[in-house]
Amino acid sequence: MNAFYLFLAVLIPCVGGVLNPLIPWKKRSHMLIYLETLVVVNSILVWVLLLNRPEEIFTLVHFTGNLAIAFQLDGLGTVFAGLISFLWPLATLYSFEYMTKEKHEKTFFMFYTVTYGVTLGISLADNFLTMYCFYELLTLVTLPLVMHTLTREAILASRKYLYYSIGGAAFAFIGMIFLLTYGESPDFILGGVMSTATLAEGKNTFLLIYVFSFFGFGVKAAICPLNSWLPQAGVAPTPVTALLHAVAVVKSGAFAIMRLTFYCFGVDFLRGTWAQYLLMGVVMFTIVYGCSMAVKETHLKRRLAYSTISNLSYILFGVVLMTPLGLVGALSHMIFHAFMKICSFFCAGAIMHQTERHYIHQLDGFARKMPKVFAIFTVSALALMGVPGLCGFISKWNLVSAAIESQNPMAYFGIGALLLSALLTAIYMLTIVIRAYFPEKDFNYDTIADVKDPNWMMLLPLTVFAVMIVVFGLCSMPVTELLTAVAAGSF
Amino acid sequence: MELIRNFPCLSIFMAMLSAIISSALKGNGARRLNTFVVTAVGVMSACVLYLTCTTGESYVYKMGHFPAPIGNEIRFGSLEAGMALFFCVIMLFSLNGGRKKIQIEIDPGKENLYYIMVDLLLSSLLALVYTNDLFTAYVFVEINTIAACGLIMIMESGRAIEAATRYMIMSLLGSGLFLIGLCMLYDMTGHLLMSYIQISVREIAESGTYMIPLLVTIALIVVGLAIKSALFPFHAWLPDAYGYSTVSSAAMLSSLVSKGYIFLLIKIIYRVIGFDIFVNSKIINVLFVFGLAGMIMGSMSAIRENDIRRMISYSSVAQIGYIYMGFGLGTTVGMVASVFHILSHAATKSLLFVSGVGLTDVSGEKTQFIELTGAAYRNVAAGLAFTVGSLSMVGIPLFSGFISKLLFSQAAVQSNIKMLPTLIALAVSTVLNAIYFMKTVIRIYTPIESKYPSVSIKKNRLYAFTLLCFVMLNVALGMCSQPITDWITQGLSVFA
Amino acid sequence: MEYILLVPVFFPILAGIVLLLKKEYQKRSSMLLYVGTALVITGVFAVYGIFGITEGVTLFHLTKTLPVYFELDTLGRYFSLLFTIVWILAGFFSFEYMKHEEREKRYFGYYLIVFGVLLGLDFSGNLITMYLFYELMTLTSLPLVLHTQTREAVMAGLRYLFFSFAGAYMALFGVYFICRYGTTLNFTAGGVIPAAVLQENRTLFLVAVMFMIIGFGVKAGMFPLHAWLPAAHPVAPGPASAVLSGIIVKAGVLAVIRVVYQMIGTDFIRGTWVQTAWMSLTLITVFMGSMLAFREPVLKKRLAYSTVSQLSYILFGLSVLDAEAMTGALLHVTAHAFIKVALFLCAAAIIYQTGCKRVEDLKGIGKGMPVTLWCYTIVSLGLIGIPPTSGFASKWSLAVGALASGVPVFSWLGPVVLLVSALLTAGYLLPITMQGFFPGEGYDASRFEGKEPSYLMLAPLLIFAALTVLIGLMPNGLTDRLFEFAAQALQIV
Repeated sequence: MNAFYLFLAVLIPCVGGVLNPLIPWKKRSHMLIYLETLVVVNSILVWVLLLNRPEEIFTLVHFTGNLAIAFQLDGLGTVFAGLISFLWPLATLYSFEYMTKEKHEKTFFMFYTVTYGVTLGISLADNFLTMYCFYELLTLVTLPLVMHTLTREAILASRKYLYYSIGGAAFAFIGMIFLLTYGESPDFILGGVMSTATLAEGKNTFLLIYVFSFFGFGVKAAICPLNSWLPQAGVAPTPVTALLHAVAVVKSGAFAIMRLTFYCFGVDFLRGTWAQYLLMGVVMFTIVYGCSMAVKETHLKRRLAYSTISNLSYILFGVVLMTPLGLVGALSHMIFHAFMKICSFFCAGAIMHQTERHYIHQLDGFARKMPKVFAIFTVSALALMGVPGLCGFISKWNLVSAAIESQNPMAYFGIGALLLSALLTAIYMLTIVIRAYFPEKDFNYDTIADVKDPNWMMLLPLTVFAVMIVVFGLCSMPVTELLTAVAAGSF
Repeated sequence: MELIRNFPCLSIFMAMLSAIISSALKGNGARRLNTFVVTAVGVMSACVLYLTCTTGESYVYKMGHFPAPIGNEIRFGSLEAGMALFFCVIMLFSLNGGRKKIQIEIDPGKENLYYIMVDLLLSSLLALVYTNDLFTAYVFVEINTIAACGLIMIMESGRAIEAATRYMIMSLLGSGLFLIGLCMLYDMTGHLLMSYIQISVREIAESGTYMIPLLVTIALIVVGLAIKSALFPFHAWLPDAYGYSTVSSAAMLSSLVSKGYIFLLIKIIYRVIGFDIFVNSKIINVLFVFGLAGMIMGSMSAIRENDIRRMISYSSVAQIGYIYMGFGLGTTVGMVASVFHILSHAATKSLLFVSGVGLTDVSGEKTQFIELTGAAYRNVAAGLAFTVGSLSMVGIPLFSGFISKLLFSQAAVQSNIKMLPTLIALAVSTVLNAIYFMKTVIRIYTPIESKYPSVSIKKNRLYAFTLLCFVMLNVALGMCSQPITDWITQGLSVFA
Repeated sequence: MEYILLVPVFFPILAGIVLLLKKEYQKRSSMLLYVGTALVITGVFAVYGIFGITEGVTLFHLTKTLPVYFELDTLGRYFSLLFTIVWILAGFFSFEYMKHEEREKRYFGYYLIVFGVLLGLDFSGNLITMYLFYELMTLTSLPLVLHTQTREAVMAGLRYLFFSFAGAYMALFGVYFICRYGTTLNFTAGGVIPAAVLQENRTLFLVAVMFMIIGFGVKAGMFPLHAWLPAAHPVAPGPASAVLSGIIVKAGVLAVIRVVYQMIGTDFIRGTWVQTAWMSLTLITVFMGSMLAFREPVLKKRLAYSTVSQLSYILFGLSVLDAEAMTGALLHVTAHAFIKVALFLCAAAIIYQTGCKRVEDLKGIGKGMPVTLWCYTIVSLGLIGIPPTSGFASKWSLAVGALASGVPVFSWLGPVVLLVSALLTAGYLLPITMQGFFPGEGYDASRFEGKEPSYLMLAPLLIFAALTVLIGLMPNGLTDRLFEFAAQALQIV
């Protein structure tokens, strides 16, 4: 297909989203139909593009010299674009029901839809500059979503989100400058864009710059000292927390780090250096730290947010192994975690929407009143723990296989961190499940008489996600094969 | 084509003449005359720019009867012409954007006085841009100072007068240092025309005698101009001067006056001292360090500030730091980045001042942040424009600030020792910028039930149009930076 | 034909899920009929599979290198037969017992599911399948622990869960490495990892094996991760405690055997610090468990501590890495299963009939419930190891094997500790019998009059007591088979 369609896929949601508040809708349902159609059409477009991949590059505008905004579709982009274009229509459907209780719907949906386009922009970017531009844009368009409720808490959270993100981007910017100056090509190339001679000359400088940019993008991926924005950003409406702060935004950070590591600096250069060990240490610490904080947390959404922090570092752990297999592990966890976490967040959202309860200790006995939601929540909890037969097991398996294969002694400790984190995951997820299913003996069900399952608009996405979790868990081979091809550059 | 060569000289005199005529006119007439002159000068500068760009040379224009090296000269290449054009554009926009405020804040009888000052400012700026004579430059520096003082004082409030006095003292200190440096230079070389001074300076540098006096001279001139352009730590006069004057004045002071001095400094570096000699002196390291410190400290002060006008003013300190940091890198690329940042900052800062006043207007004329809550809903145009300006300052792609940041860092990467400090300072400064600008943006977009009335765009067409122009200028600088950087590079190459 | 292996695994799981999803039954008896039929059908197919099928069957692949594969070897047959017998009998016992508990449907649903999962664990032909069912076992047996939903039960359930998962994940660490370096994932006597690879990564694999032993040892209540067991087992309903304590703990034993004997290979760990550590841990557990049981006043808790101690007998026998000791250990698996289930069922029957939970309340109970107490006494003797019961046979083999193994210090220290522990066992079990039959002067035993439970409850008790004696009298048929397997596993030709 013509590469222009890549740009179109980015453009449609942006323009369509901006139009939304401008159109004078007579009925709410008209707006919903419009939005859902928009998103579905765009997703179909993306999938058509994925299946008939355009080979050439579409250049939109030249800045200076070789700096251009350009789009292309390669293996890594395929994975990320495919993932978000699958999730977005479902999440939009879910948010229709969720947002009935919130204000300023039009603005909300405008930014929500625009974010779709911007995220696609990140995944379809052909060069670092384009990715960086969309990365910054992503911060800006998601900011109003975090601010949405306009409470004092929300404003503080959004400020923090903004400072962290822009600060991170500023450090990533340093990396970009280096790549533009020393890189032999502005485009992404698997294996790196800098010649070995250049790299050997200023080895430590390059490593330092790599570490800077890693931390810079790592802000969005919530690595350890830079993660406190994520739990706070949980004040946003749940569709935002679920889709953006568990998938789109945070995975953009991870995606950017993959680009940086595999497609810009090149793993051959980075492997075995102090930078690798340093980052591996940070990532391992984050894995455990996130889980421990999740165990401590009693607010449902914040607990899930801490869990996201930990799981994002699983992905980064795969990346810092700096082997193709590590990339396979990272990508598979990126996909599978997206399903698991969006699923559990949507369950949390359903609970909040139906009952206005936010804290875990308020969930006693809910499973009897919301059987479907809690069945799905249990599935996602088990998957997050990595129970065999569900998708979480597969991605962890891929990660650990890569760690063993890398023959890196420090990676063995990483396996330990993963397992410890799995145990902590079991603690923080299953305590919720057990509380809901097994309240204390003389629990009075009359106190939660008003609690019931939500309607189909919420249940449909949930069911789809739960089914996907199981399906991926049982037959993950096509996915793993695809990812292996991507990591080898043959896709 | 021959005619166009007369334009630089003509435009300087036109501006001065209009100042004289204005004194006989009423406020409105003076305003119209001023608008006409600024536009005319802009058109003429555009013609000059066209000429110099097509030929790619710089021209010397003899003033008066005596030929060089005794007489006075004007010299213009594409960089000068472009600067003049740009200054005119910004001045026009700033005056248009602040027109309402001028009418309100200034005593009607003194309105013509204001425009006299503006005319004088324009002529002195043009002279600073075009002249090839060091003493002429000094004279116009003083005229510039006086005009700027007038612009600050015109409000006649106690604070404005205090600020003007402070500005005056600091500025005169700067001019004094500049004058001493100039005298010493004359002592050593016997010339006042820039090109001739350079020949002598070169001889001195090669012979190796007089090195310390030369260094002292360079230092005096640089410090003098640095004080006038508010380089950290000489910035104490700035927040008051920008914060308590009328908005057009603030916009012009920050984007034109200080930039005029910086442009003069560039000229001195290239044409008087010689770029290589300047780079070899240790002065650039001092400039570099002060530039970095300014970038950080300016922003820190801005974060602590509770008043939107003063916050924007402190941000200028930081941005001036960027420019001097670019000088300090000591490479042509760094210079190009600095010149680009002069443009980018001028466009953005005046936008911020003008849109900021729109926000304070709908908040009961109060400049404290707490009053500004939700102001963007009460004045939509100003809110959007302020957001654009803030994003540009933070360095978001598509806006001019991003390109300056890009150019600065690309320049920094070429230097071994200064690379890391520069890059880290840039990153930290970005974060700090984000903190105070985006904090403001979030605040003005936080809706509350406000006691202040809102203003529609329809009632304020000119204001909204001005803001639109500013935004377009900003985006143009951000999107099509390639021709601009080419022009700057070419201009610098024929500058010496 | 080999697909019949899947029936006993998945049929009860499905039957359990169906039961859970169904509406409440109108009549209790129809539910019991359903459960009973399901148990029996499973049992029949299980027995058929155990004796009739030799081929393996691959169900599907988790990833390219991870097939879910079922195959029965001697060990699998042995364990699955044992599990089937006990599970069905205890199931029938609960038909009566569960009358006084709520939410029977849930109980029986999970009871069926766990049955299937356990059979899956026994039938699994490779490591990953076993691990899969191991985790499932933890998850599905949790509702049995939580069943009463008292605060105590919930806390115990959480403890059970977290200890089990901690163990499972520790084991998973080793699983990862075995899967990477093993030539095959199927259980193979003598191990699957080439000796050269083992030597090359010696420290790594030693750590991994230690992790796996401790990890799977959690289920078997091995020190230092034993604390969940005395909390979790007693809070469950009586029959559930019985199977938890008698059967599910054995899954840990099975996993340890699989890993040590059939994945890593005994040659690799013989004489290393791992073996020493393992033996020390088991002996500590044996002694500590008995001491704690001795001091415990609540009957079910006392039995649970006893489980901690007895399971480490088995693990000790395995840690010696000697064919004779291993035979003893394997025999003790059966012996302990029958005995401990019987003991718990006795305790359950007493609680069901009289509500007495503490030991001191049981004075004179022999007057009212003679059959129950007699069964209790017989199996208690078995647990202590007095001939002619199964416990004697197994402990004899254990001690002989340990003495003959020639491991420094432990070859004599082990039997001494076992002996001391046996004395303690007598000390904590027999007083109940003595005070039950001979409450002493002036004691009113009338409150136990006519409390003998129904035949549905008595029958399993009697069968277990009979089996205990039977195996004690004629252990040879079984021990020969087991010795043969042990010799093969240790590669003694």
